[in-house]
Amino acid sequence: KTFHFGACRVSMSLAEIRAGFTAIKANIQSRDPIRTLSILSHPHSLHKVKSADRCCIAHQLLTFYVDKVFKHCRTEDSFVNRKISSIANSFLSARRRLGQCREQNNCACGEESTEKFKQILANYEGLNVTSAAMKSLGELDILLDWMEKSR
Amino acid sequence: SGELYCSLPNPKNVRFESINMKNVLHWSAPEGTGDGVLYKVKYAVYGVGKWIRKPECRNINRTWCDLSSETSDYEEQYYASVKAFLNGTCSDWMETTRFNPLTDTKIDPPMVSVSSTDRSISIILTAPEKWKRSPEEESISLLQVYPGLQYNVSVLNKKTKKRWLFSISNHTLIVPWLEPGTAYCVSAQIHVTTPLLDSGFSKEHCITTLKDK
Amino acid sequence: GDALLPAPQSISILSTNMKHFLTWSPVIVQGATVRYSVEFQGEYEREYANGSWIPISECSLTTATVCNITEDISATVAYKLRVRAELGATRSPWATTKGFFSRAMTSLTPPELRVVADGHHVLVELADMGPSFQFRVLYWKKGQESRVQQRGMKDVSSVVHLDTMEAGAEYCVKAQTHVEAINRSSSFSPTQCVRAQGDTSVWL
Repeated sequence: KTFHFGACRVSMSLAEIRAGFTAIKANIQSRDPIRTLSILSHPHSLHKVKSADRCCIAHQLLTFYVDKVFKHCRTEDSFVNRKISSIANSFLSARRRLGQCREQNNCACGEESTEKFKQILANYEGLNVTSAAMKSLGELDILLDWMEKSR
Repeated sequence: SGELYCSLPNPKNVRFESINMKNVLHWSAPEGTGDGVLYKVKYAVYGVGKWIRKPECRNINRTWCDLSSETSDYEEQYYASVKAFLNGTCSDWMETTRFNPLTDTKIDPPMVSVSSTDRSISIILTAPEKWKRSPEEESISLLQVYPGLQYNVSVLNKKTKKRWLFSISNHTLIVPWLEPGTAYCVSAQIHVTTPLLDSGFSKEHCITTLKDK
Repeated sequence: GDALLPAPQSISILSTNMKHFLTWSPVIVQGATVRYSVEFQGEYEREYANGSWIPISECSLTTATVCNITEDISATVAYKLRVRAELGATRSPWATTKGFFSRAMTSLTPPELRVVADGHHVLVELADMGPSFQFRVLYWKKGQESRVQQRGMKDVSSVVHLDTMEAGAEYCVKAQTHVEAINRSSSFSPTQCVRAQGDTSVWL
């Protein structure tokens, strides 16, 4: 599948990430008791990101998950841990593909999306690290729904 | 919140049942409570800081509540919750899991219309519409919601009992070079690749090609 | 107690059509049943999770000397695998794969293809190979090899309609698999040709 992130056209398969997440969605989301706060979708919605900024925001979010989220999501459940590993390694692969295009096209971040990503980090830092990581992992479908709209 | 001491058993199996994004909250009555139980419902947009009561589902005795209007923005995700009351006591609030209309809805099969000549049949498929508040409201086809939507079309030759499958992206299909005076039965399914969603197959529409001129 | 039990030898990975298996030679201890445990490590675990290893529960304390690692090798990155022998409380050192394994190294075989003519219609049946696979079907009218047409197919759980044929014409078909996740294709299946008006596939 080819995705259009601003100037970048990237061939990527999100189906495996989606399948991995669907397999653990109920388990992960049940570990997040906070209904009234979101990392990715409030107060700013990803769906309002301007097309030109999609490349930069997508790369930042893939990096956010790789650097900050997955490592704090270890559980007592072997099946869940293996699916998280599958998703994390797929994120590395996806980020590498997007990164190659990003360097060539210098995906600059506009002011608005820089602000959006700052808000995401603020939402994340507003919780203790395990809760924030588990909530972010439970919101993976919000990220995937947004990325898949770029097809 | 000034509520009574809640010793009533809880409503069970609180969940959204969604078809074409008509999102209805369903639950089962608390165990061993018999008639007379009343319920109230609230919902929340995930990530937004407040629960909102649903007035039309306050003090109701049925075990469902249509929240389609409140959950129609499929770029958001939702929770809903139900509380039971009986003879001055109540249950706890019982919540759904997080509901994502885009991935958690079921899709109806497409509408199928078939016409024939002596040697061909032509098939027109129509994807179902997203639920809407009123007939006057603008219709949104699920094709717009799921850009990767495709159709699987099954054509059965009733004489030879052979079934062919066509996988198409556009909504029309003409099958030429058929046998005159033969019955063909057509049914179709919607297939969305991401997120992975499949409708069932529609009921069969049978048509007979005209006799040879 | 670990040093008494030798590590498994001849550890290797067999991978065909995106199905990946780790195999090793048995550790022989007279009169005893030796068991084995397998773990994997992806690029993420190496680079971002302190080189951690993840156990494969289906291959924990197994007596088999093969482990299906397909479900866990589920990203196109470099993986390492390791296995050790266990006998009661005694454990051998880990035996770790030399170098890295990526699923992009899997060997892809041509698809099983059956071509059928039904009146003026050419139909194909392709054996299902799993969700990673798509099929590229090439077909042409015999004698017009320069005018090849192609169709991409994904879900092939039954007889799929390819095209309609001119009366009396002979059409030839071949197919290859394509795996989008590793961006590689198999070689083509042997060509099969059929003639309109109810002929069944003829190997030419």
